[in-house]
Amino acid sequence: MPALRDNSGLLLALAVVLLLPLLLQSGTLATEVLVYALAVLGCNLLLGYTGLLSFGQGVFFGMGSYAVGILLTRAGMPLMAAVLLSIVIGAGVAALIGWFAIRQRGTYFVMLTLAFAQMFYFLAYSLPGWTGGDNGLLGIPRPPLSLGGLASVPLDTPWRFYSFVAVVFLLTFWLLHRVTTSVFGRTLLAIRENEARARAVGYDTRLFKLAVFAISGAVTALAGALHAMMTGIAPLSNIEYHTSEMILVMTVIGGTGNLFASLLGAAFYVLAADWLSTLWPRWLLLLGLLLIGVSLFMHKGLWGVGQGLWQWATGRVRAGRPAVREQSL
Amino acid sequence: MNRRQLLQLAAASAAASALPLPLRVARAQAAQAIQFGCPVPMSGAFAANGKFADLGMKLAVEQYGKVLDRPLAYTLLDTEGKPATAVRKMQELVQQKGARYFAGGILSSEALAMGKEAEKNNAVFITTAGADEITGADCNRATFRWSVPTYGAIERTVRPLIEQMPNAKRWYTITPQYVFGDGLLTAAKNIFKEKGIEHVGNSYHSLTEKEFSGYLTNAMAARPDVLLLLNFGSQSSDALRQAVSFGMKQNTTILMAWASGLEQFESLGADLCEGVYFGAQYWHGIDAPGNQDFVRRAREVFKANPNYSLAGSYICTKILIDAIVKAGSDEPAKVIAALEGMKYTGLTGDEEIRPEDHQVLKNYYLLRGKAKSAMKDKDDYADILSFGKSFLPVAQTGCKL
Amino acid sequence: MNVYLLQVVNGVGIGMLYFLLAVGLSIIFGLLRFVNFAHGAFYLLGAYFCFQAVAWGLSFWLALVLVPLAVALLAWAAERILLRRIYDKPHEFHILITVGVALVLQEAVILVWGPLGDNVATPAPFQGVVMWGSFIYPKYRLFVIGFTAVFALFLWWVLEGTRLGSAVRAGSESTEMVAMLGINVFRVFGLVFALGAGTAALAGALAAPIRGVDPFMGLEALGVAFVIVVVGGMGSFGGALAGGLLIGIVQSVMSSLWPEGARLMIYVAMAAVLLLRPHGLLGRG
Repeated sequence: MPALRDNSGLLLALAVVLLLPLLLQSGTLATEVLVYALAVLGCNLLLGYTGLLSFGQGVFFGMGSYAVGILLTRAGMPLMAAVLLSIVIGAGVAALIGWFAIRQRGTYFVMLTLAFAQMFYFLAYSLPGWTGGDNGLLGIPRPPLSLGGLASVPLDTPWRFYSFVAVVFLLTFWLLHRVTTSVFGRTLLAIRENEARARAVGYDTRLFKLAVFAISGAVTALAGALHAMMTGIAPLSNIEYHTSEMILVMTVIGGTGNLFASLLGAAFYVLAADWLSTLWPRWLLLLGLLLIGVSLFMHKGLWGVGQGLWQWATGRVRAGRPAVREQSL
Repeated sequence: MNRRQLLQLAAASAAASALPLPLRVARAQAAQAIQFGCPVPMSGAFAANGKFADLGMKLAVEQYGKVLDRPLAYTLLDTEGKPATAVRKMQELVQQKGARYFAGGILSSEALAMGKEAEKNNAVFITTAGADEITGADCNRATFRWSVPTYGAIERTVRPLIEQMPNAKRWYTITPQYVFGDGLLTAAKNIFKEKGIEHVGNSYHSLTEKEFSGYLTNAMAARPDVLLLLNFGSQSSDALRQAVSFGMKQNTTILMAWASGLEQFESLGADLCEGVYFGAQYWHGIDAPGNQDFVRRAREVFKANPNYSLAGSYICTKILIDAIVKAGSDEPAKVIAALEGMKYTGLTGDEEIRPEDHQVLKNYYLLRGKAKSAMKDKDDYADILSFGKSFLPVAQTGCKL
Repeated sequence: MNVYLLQVVNGVGIGMLYFLLAVGLSIIFGLLRFVNFAHGAFYLLGAYFCFQAVAWGLSFWLALVLVPLAVALLAWAAERILLRRIYDKPHEFHILITVGVALVLQEAVILVWGPLGDNVATPAPFQGVVMWGSFIYPKYRLFVIGFTAVFALFLWWVLEGTRLGSAVRAGSESTEMVAMLGINVFRVFGLVFALGAGTAALAGALAAPIRGVDPFMGLEALGVAFVIVVVGGMGSFGGALAGGLLIGIVQSVMSSLWPEGARLMIYVAMAAVLLLRPHGLLGRG
């Protein structure tokens, strides 16, 4: 069933989205999983599909939070308009940073994203009139969703908001699925494998890299905006180095080059962190050990582990058939 | 919703284990106890404060055990020093265990965010964080604050020191560049103007700064009589340590307006602190019956003198419990009404909760570090020189409840 | 003395410590071609081991010798056990594994010594200040300048004058060539990683009397080290020195000119260097 396999990532994502409310007691925790999954999708686009390791994702996440915060509290915009504008702002900032960052490659690129991340952090800290400085923006409302003036859906309870975020997430997932399986997506993969060759074949790799930066920024800003509405605040910590680090860690834990893996990575990290922090204040040590383990043994991340298990299980049943060729979903 | 209830029942019967997984577990068991939450940083840069805050709530909860014939229970929430995590975990505890009483919020950014969340969820939140806005522009019905904000901290340290040293006319300030730091600086500048003090210079620095030698060099060039440190936590420790290493104790008096108390003295050591003036919210040596009782209990249970984080958390929890008793109910609206105007025997003597802005009116202390040879025991780092209550009139705080 | 002159001298003092902190990272990058996110953690370990040694009654000077060796040994073991397996993997795993190691070390420090910071007393002969007219400066910081200068000479001699140094310099150009010449490239990697970590630990131990010890000092140190390595040039010894001094002086002078902007300026400088002259002031890339 090629249609099933092609869309298996989306179906798996749908399954997880439906499963979370059954397994978790907390609507906010479930929403947090999806919000970070969006951010990880943004990071995965850069890392897994284009081979760009960015330490600057926190900038877009934070910008999304600040944008929606300012638009909702000071401009009094309706929900969808504020979110869409935040996405546009995120894409814009990402394009700006990307324009500079893609001039370098490899480790220099990584360092550049780090430098920009720190610059934006200090900017956010120094402009309390816009960002609330160290206090952040407070009292961000969660206005009801107005559907073209026909109906107004309140999003006040955690599970109602989760439903909204779930729909947004699945929509974004589907869009990204279309992007990554398109010619554009395959060009990105080509750039990841060998940029010189892609250029030799005639692609303007800079334009592609800039485009993927913008898309990544847009998706990450969306995550930030949703996060701000979930917690009601846009804190400085969203734009901090630690947020960028966390998003990157979730991306690699989940597995790169595969969209569903992003959801896995985010879910695993958010749930494990939440659970472990109730057990042991030094739970970060376990996270560190996990990172070491993933780097040593699990290069395809959790998705790779899952895939391996699936192949082992089905390989036994269908002995003799070659293992499923790895495809990006 | 029927399917959910069915699943809940199934999960409840299946989930007999004590693992605190964030999965569905029976809610029936927890309904009896009055639930408290302790949202403090247990990991990250303020983990030290969080650790003792947890112990403080524990002490208070175990001291009472039961109230209104119901057991007291509390849950520790690791905020990781991040406001978003704090808000989320508070939300979850409200939903999962029906907790309505929270004492915590070490950092101002967390406290402000949690205050708003508490109001949204019809809960009560009391904090020791320092930002003026908590009982000022961002005050709300659910939030109460035990510590003295910037105005009082400066009034009770700068003013007495000026009076003690009438010839010290040149003051230099080192200020962390954000709202709280500016609050302290503005309060100080007002006193400078009033008393004819020459403010010979100010150095702003970021919240992550560790290298103060540049600012100190600048300060020394201005030849101040007093160096006023308006930062806090590890930054104030770093600034003090480096100031002493530059020999500033020789010809300059150093005042740290917002010190953490015992934990800070322990990490600095008596030699560094000797002759330095510190402003403190709390000191275990306070001669008040409420404090003596508390210190005795803390010594019994922890075999150590209580530090500020422990004391702050203890008294905040105690205030909530006493208010529940006074209200005769655990309904937040009634408890809030009981809290407003409540007078009680606190750790700094008689304390009172001002109804208009939910600020506790308590003493702030000026301490001076002792020489090592003068210490009577290993925690006797400082003498209390003076103390008192100074608070902005409600009209000037910007609070409209 | 003009306050700006004082700030420059102070900047040299800060800068020499920055150099010591950054040179290990730079050398590691030059040869191993990856950015070691655990570098700050080695600095942290150096500071805490020094604190513990002094608490046990050891002389500070003995600690200054033993602590870097101990951390270098630890780093050498980490390289052999952990890093060696992933050299051929994509560079995100190099970064990830060192981030993991940094986290583990930081939390381990908190486990052993608690989350509160602590103090290391300035060693006796260097307590107090020197006074020369209106120039007042802590004796210990002058000692740090002198010590680091001597150590820099020693390090320069190792890199230029010994076989190990030649292997490192040649390996920075091409590891294949070095391997073909019969040198055990992996052994060189291990020694270089240990050397880098050892210098970071030395920086931490030296900084302890100035900055005290606290479990989060590694994060701040890492950020600073990155900036210096980028500005000075990745893989360049001279670059680490130039970068360290430049950043130290800029930071110090800024605290008189525009204190709020000091941090921002540093990262703007980092970005500018990366864009305009990515190999840094003295780097070869």
